Amino acid sequence: MSARISSGGSRPARISARGVGVEFLFDRQRRLVSPTLARVGARRIGSRSWGLRDLDLEIGAGEAVALVGRSGGGKTTLLRTIAGVFTPDAGTIAVEGRIGSLLSVGAGVMSPLTGRENAELLGVLAGLSLRESRRAAPNVQAASGLGRSFDRPVSSYSQGMRARLGFASADEADPTILLLDEVHEALDHEYRALVHERAREILRAGGIVVAAGHDHPLLEQLSRRALWLDAGRVVADGPFAAVRAAYLESSPERD
Amino acid sequence: MRRVTEAMLEADETSRGRRHDARRLDLLVALSVSDLRARYGRGAWKSLKWLLDPFFATGVYLVLVTFVINRPGTAPGLSIACATVPFQLVIASVVNGLSSVQLRYSIVLNTRFDRTLIPLSGAITEAIAFASALILLAGMMAVYGVVPTPAILWLPVVLAITFLFSVSVSYPASLMGLWYADLRTFVISAVRTLFFLAPGLVALDQVPAGAQKWLKLNPLTGIFESYRAVLLYGRSPAPWELLYPTLFALGLLALVLPVYRREQRLFAKLVDG
Repeated sequence: MSARISSGGSRPARISARGVGVEFLFDRQRRLVSPTLARVGARRIGSRSWGLRDLDLEIGAGEAVALVGRSGGGKTTLLRTIAGVFTPDAGTIAVEGRIGSLLSVGAGVMSPLTGRENAELLGVLAGLSLRESRRAAPNVQAASGLGRSFDRPVSSYSQGMRARLGFASADEADPTILLLDEVHEALDHEYRALVHERAREILRAGGIVVAAGHDHPLLEQLSRRALWLDAGRVVADGPFAAVRAAYLESSPERD
Repeated sequence: MRRVTEAMLEADETSRGRRHDARRLDLLVALSVSDLRARYGRGAWKSLKWLLDPFFATGVYLVLVTFVINRPGTAPGLSIACATVPFQLVIASVVNGLSSVQLRYSIVLNTRFDRTLIPLSGAITEAIAFASALILLAGMMAVYGVVPTPAILWLPVVLAITFLFSVSVSYPASLMGLWYADLRTFVISAVRTLFFLAPGLVALDQVPAGAQKWLKLNPLTGIFESYRAVLLYGRSPAPWELLYPTLFALGLLALVLPVYRREQRLFAKLVDG
């Protein structure tokens, strides 16, 4: 099992996964357990489940992929594995490119900090130097459209404002791979259009966009290819309309 | 065409290494600054909060000991301050460490970065907060009319050892906070117990001889006694007072850091989003 994530330099963006598996261990109260403690017998395992199982995937330069499937199917786990947040427990994943991500419920921002303070921190986390990150803060302010709220604590922000800040900060590091989880569905229509325009720019420049969610019309605007995940496995991979139709057929009550 | 020589490869490697170090330093500063802002807030009240925090943490007790409660020994208030002030940094680092990863769940779940720096940034935050507590020590010296001697030149060394010790306990605390979140309160109580198993309320020479050798096993004993040596007795600290806590901290880091490095790859699986 291995994960190789490189910023890519001048190489084209690429995501390649072979037999990837990500496993979660739980105790009897369904609390997450560290595999390290389980191995040495310091915590008992009540149950285990694979967030991803035997996943093979190739995404090339200029390609957008939508992840569909029911909640808990593995969409977020796959995005986090591509981002390098999760290390695979089985298989290998190789990612070439600079990653910009909007994955967590809180859009990757810390509530006690202001928008500006978050932008500075997220800039450094994305690979900018401290100085570059501070210099970039006014750009993030303008790109997020947060105005004077940018200097207020994020705890006072709506989910949409957090997503704007998270996206504008991630975009400042000029990503070649853009990963968007359901959180971007919290954005208002105006800003969503901006995100989509930026996603198309990344694709035109030979980058990759992977987006997950339940808003299928929104996902279809972004990508022609879709991947249906269920119980951590790929059920279908192909043209968006065909995969969506197969998914809805299997669970007509969801959409 | 340029020929790539071994020297060029070596230079490239060095330059990449420097860039990597600079990036880690930037990350450490960014994490520490954000932690400090989250803890102390911002604006005009920030400095006042920073100054008053140690007073509320231990200063009130020192005022009681100095002016209200009659205690035996030389400058009892200063003697106690020599233990409570450094202990404040140690326990604050443990408390910070216990919640350090969970507090940053949003960035841990969103971005890949070197999470080994999280406890260190927490200890730096607490050390900055601790700096204001040194005013309490100066105040106690003034109250008891203790004049600094050249031994005070040892203070930076003593402070550095306190910081090193705090860093070393922040790593296991950080792991404990993730592995056994239910035990956070218990861990804090256990660290407080360590204070009472060291000469915190009375100096080591006031403890019966038979108990002294046991108390010396506690690394906090060396730390407390070195502050007393420098600030109260006006002499250089004994070598064991500096060496034992240093070696204990280095040993703890040597033991825990490899585990932490391996475990940090799993943090995103363990935090509650």
